[in-house]
Amino acid sequence: MKNIHGESFDIRLEEESSTVLFKGALRLCGTEDYAPILDMLKETLASPAMPIVLDLRELDFLNSSGITMLSRFVMEARDHPGIDVQVLASEAIPWHARSLRNLQRLMPSLSIRLT
Amino acid sequence: MMMSEPLDNYGERAGKCEYLTLAFSPTSAPLRSRWRNNGLSADFLGDYVTTFLPANGTLPAFKRRQNEVKHAVTYIANELLENAMKYHQPDVEIPIRIHLELASDHIKVSVSNGVSVVQAGRYRAFVEHLREGDVDDLLLRQQEESARSTESTMSSLGLLTMISDYEAQLDWRFDIHPTHLESMTVTTIAILPLKGVPGASA
Repeated sequence: MKNIHGESFDIRLEEESSTVLFKGALRLCGTEDYAPILDMLKETLASPAMPIVLDLRELDFLNSSGITMLSRFVMEARDHPGIDVQVLASEAIPWHARSLRNLQRLMPSLSIRLT
Repeated sequence: MMMSEPLDNYGERAGKCEYLTLAFSPTSAPLRSRWRNNGLSADFLGDYVTTFLPANGTLPAFKRRQNEVKHAVTYIANELLENAMKYHQPDVEIPIRIHLELASDHIKVSVSNGVSVVQAGRYRAFVEHLREGDVDDLLLRQQEESARSTESTMSSLGLLTMISDYEAQLDWRFDIHPTHLESMTVTTIAILPLKGVPGASA
């Protein structure tokens, strides 16, 4: 298990289930600041236990630089044949229904479970 | 100078409405050290505006609407502030301002900052590009390009998501500084229609 945490967020990689759990509010300053998180996401591509799960159900806020970071990961996953990506999202968090569909436009096979 | 856009109904503050302005002194302190203030300010504006929303409908519907409006204002204010802080010209005494107005059918969030005339020209070219293109296509293209992106691509993604994901209308003003003729104040204005907010009856 690996962790990245900051003042307002916590991100945990569970390697055995290829799950990355996000909590809190992520508003880092740009590409450079998001690089360690993107690297953590990319680790799931190395030895995927299918599917790769991004659990965003407790991620209350993500700025557009963070959305770009997720887009980059999805584009990377798209280029790996046979990779399945599931996003767990919450109806109670407004940005999930509004912005996550953009990831599906990048990778039509990506599934979003909004609960 | 105001770049024209069919936002006349919203262009200026209409008579009686709730409003709030925050002004930040221009500073040479590193961007990273004051970055968290963008989030603090955006959260404050998002929370502040909910005080004035009329309590229409059932309690769960009202709570949902409050949550939607709070989030949309927070997202838009945060993106506009992040851009203003990144691109503000530090050596000119122009404060960075964020202004919020609540009307019965829309919320206006505008942010202004100082830029050089050259930067203003680049931003204007981007604004024209944005007005002429299809927002969903631009957004998809910008996301694809983000793999080799620069920070300016990232900043435009913020504006594109406001339009695409929050149905915001954007407008811009470019004003020449009264004493520093090589500087301009750029104001980016986002109008959030309350009709587009799920659960809103306004």
